[in-house]
Amino acid sequence: MIHTPETEKEFKAQIKKSLEKDFMRKTLTNFSVAYRQSRSNAFANLDLEGMREDIACMKDAGIPNLTVLFDEFKKNAEAAGTIIHVAKDGDEANRIIAQIAKENGVKRIVKSKSMTAEETFLNDHLEKDGYEVVETDLGEWIIQMRHEGPSHMVMPAIHLSRYQVGELFSDVTAKKQDPEDIEGLVRVARKELRPTFIAADMGISGGNFAIADSGAIGLVTNEGNARLTTTLPRVHVALMGFDKLVPDVSAAMKILKILPRNATGQALTSYVTWIKGTNECAPGPEGKKIQHMIFLDNGRLALAKDPIFAEVLRCIRCGACANVCPIYRMVGGHTFGHVYIGAIGLILTTFFHGKEKARGIVKCCLNCQSCKGVCPSKIDLPFLIKNVYAKVQEEDGGKPLKTRLTSLLLKNRRLFHTTMKAAAKMQGPATDGPYVRHLPNFLMGDHNFRRLPAIADRSLRDDWKQVKPKVTNPTLKVALFGGCAGDFIYPEQGKAFAKLCEAYNVSVDYPMDQSCCGLPTMMMAQMDTAKDIAAQNVKAFTAGDYDYIVTLCASCGSHIKENFPKLLTKKGAVPADVKAMADKLIDFSSFMNDVVKVKSEDFMNLGRKVTYHYPCHLVRGLEVTEAPMALLEKAGVNYVESNESQVCCGFSGSFSVDFPMISKNMVAHKLDNAEATGATTLVTDCPGCVLQLRGGAEARGMNLTVKHMAEVLLEEKK
Amino acid sequence: MSQGDILQSMKEGSEKAQAVVAPATTLEEAIAYAVNLTVQEGGTTMAAPGMDDAARKALSAACGEKGITLLDSPLRAQMTKIHTAFTWADRGIADTGTLVLNSDSEEFRIATMLSETHVAVLPVDNIVPSMDALEGYMTEHFKKGPGYIAFVTGPSRTADIERILTIGVHGPKRLHILFLDGGEK
Repeated sequence: MIHTPETEKEFKAQIKKSLEKDFMRKTLTNFSVAYRQSRSNAFANLDLEGMREDIACMKDAGIPNLTVLFDEFKKNAEAAGTIIHVAKDGDEANRIIAQIAKENGVKRIVKSKSMTAEETFLNDHLEKDGYEVVETDLGEWIIQMRHEGPSHMVMPAIHLSRYQVGELFSDVTAKKQDPEDIEGLVRVARKELRPTFIAADMGISGGNFAIADSGAIGLVTNEGNARLTTTLPRVHVALMGFDKLVPDVSAAMKILKILPRNATGQALTSYVTWIKGTNECAPGPEGKKIQHMIFLDNGRLALAKDPIFAEVLRCIRCGACANVCPIYRMVGGHTFGHVYIGAIGLILTTFFHGKEKARGIVKCCLNCQSCKGVCPSKIDLPFLIKNVYAKVQEEDGGKPLKTRLTSLLLKNRRLFHTTMKAAAKMQGPATDGPYVRHLPNFLMGDHNFRRLPAIADRSLRDDWKQVKPKVTNPTLKVALFGGCAGDFIYPEQGKAFAKLCEAYNVSVDYPMDQSCCGLPTMMMAQMDTAKDIAAQNVKAFTAGDYDYIVTLCASCGSHIKENFPKLLTKKGAVPADVKAMADKLIDFSSFMNDVVKVKSEDFMNLGRKVTYHYPCHLVRGLEVTEAPMALLEKAGVNYVESNESQVCCGFSGSFSVDFPMISKNMVAHKLDNAEATGATTLVTDCPGCVLQLRGGAEARGMNLTVKHMAEVLLEEKK
Repeated sequence: MSQGDILQSMKEGSEKAQAVVAPATTLEEAIAYAVNLTVQEGGTTMAAPGMDDAARKALSAACGEKGITLLDSPLRAQMTKIHTAFTWADRGIADTGTLVLNSDSEEFRIATMLSETHVAVLPVDNIVPSMDALEGYMTEHFKKGPGYIAFVTGPSRTADIERILTIGVHGPKRLHILFLDGGEK
């Protein structure tokens, strides 16, 4: 039986333990890097975006009609001899399957891999009832014998080394197995399991899709065990969630074309098995198979009606959201999830296994958008994770004091800005140049991996009158969205932007009623506050008739562009002023490169060696990748790309305060990669990333200057 | 897509998935290939469900010459003995190098799932550019009632131990595809 922490404290203790597993971390890191390449090769020459859109549309059309699809499936499958069951929860599914086993005089059961059976803890139930149950997928067999749960949806034993498997197989065969001979280890499974297949009375499989208009199911596998499981024993039971229903073969093929490519970078798995009805089976009654299919609800049908969460039923269980998650690769699936792991696991756990199992993990998301970028059915995973976090807090009956205070403060712009001003004055003796000298007690210990910046003496808004570009007959009229860090910590970045605009004859306003974008409140799952703040900001920017609203903060930018419309949707529609703000929003680099169209001859071309960090919310939130590269080229710097330049720096606002042990490892990884380029300047497009990277570089005493793109462009400007 | 392009794509897709592709102009040639391969691999048995009487007779003769036993039905009684499965493939999907096997027959399933080596004869006219072209085929197949169709792309594989690709877990360790060009079936 798997154990999942039910308190934040226990969860953090487990994270620390996971971070000590060097082999696993190295494996998952290598996998994460290799996966990106193999995925991109697998989709070469294919319209990936079109394929993703197709899956999302097909699934969205089916979700409100799952029971209709089910009725059609049932009719067609029953006509071919299949017996159909519905289980309202995991316990009922397990009882039904045990009953089928009993009625058919079954003793020995073989299973092929099924996440749904993991969800219901089917093996535990059947074993308690006295059945011999053997998992036959190699990875599942390994973890079954180790009494573990899967640490990845597609590769359940990815956390284990060949030595651990070698030791286990030596025990199983009572003969020393050479751990370096992986082919030999695989042969052990072939040899040991073959008699088990032959002796089994019942085979249990999952199903990757259930095709309504034919009553057939599809199984997507590589090893060939699902074929044997569904062929040799006289009874076949398939357990599937209602979400696996699709209307027809065409829909199943849409999934089939994307699932293996997105899961493992394969064009197609070795086997795709399509089964309908009671096929030939010599030991069965009249030479036919006994076939049962169980459709599991366990909260799915209620989810299908949920206006926010229905989207999670689009999931096709490819596991990609874990493959690219910077947290998963550090701590592994046994820590980062319950039965379902990774981003989708953070959400599904709450609905399938309850808030007790979700409480620890649900806060542990960087909002780096990596998962969302690879999800084959375009599920907005980070947004749903924040919503599920809110749900868990609500059900727990209250929000932590820190959260409530922050929420209250950010909701009231005047109070927030007065507080920042007071803090700037009060911190005087505790500062050391631009950094805080001594960290407050709650930020000691785990947190000293980076130096924290002091609040600026004068904020950007304090000095705006002097800073505002002096232009006549401007070519463009824009507003600057400052963001908290840009306003109160790094006003020099906004000032650099103003100077550049003056040089390019662009007028800039700084609407004084603007406030924090509200992303921090959403990160703390304060959805109501996030809505209030979003509305305040829309109001502040609607008055001026701006050509663009520019921000130097990629995080604020993507929050405004993507989340404002979601948060402020009224009766299913996005109000015009909200849409206008989202449409006008542009990040600094895109604005300078694509709108102002700066030219190489504007710059001095000094050739300093720089590298670049892509902020998560720039590259995945706003989907901007080319503009920063074009600007660096025009500025004439000597650019060297860092390894993993698009991976999160580990800041993510309050995340780095809540989970410093993870944040620390992430920034170390980034800085190691930056150092390896030999660059002396690290450029980025987000004040949050500047805070993390500059603070980390300073704590390490590195010879690396971290700057915002606006500062670098100004320095290079003729 | 011309037939040449389709064949090329089928070949590349199959080889990428570690299958071996070879041409055959007649079924006799395909039989000789399967028998020789079995001998080379040190195998002594062959199962060939789904072959018609004439093909079975030719196969039996070719096996007899090389001391290979052609297993009789029912294969369920000989599940641990099958070295080579020699079968037709119903369709080919070029862009992924996939074989489509009509596996309704239990004999056929046992042979293609439990053998060490699978040699499949694929008539070149039955290769389609991508799986989209098979929607009708699949739907029709399942209209008849119970059915079992297998898409097979390369031999059985796993990467469950340290993500290292290893061929031959529970299914055939080797897959040979013979492109039969001559319109024979």
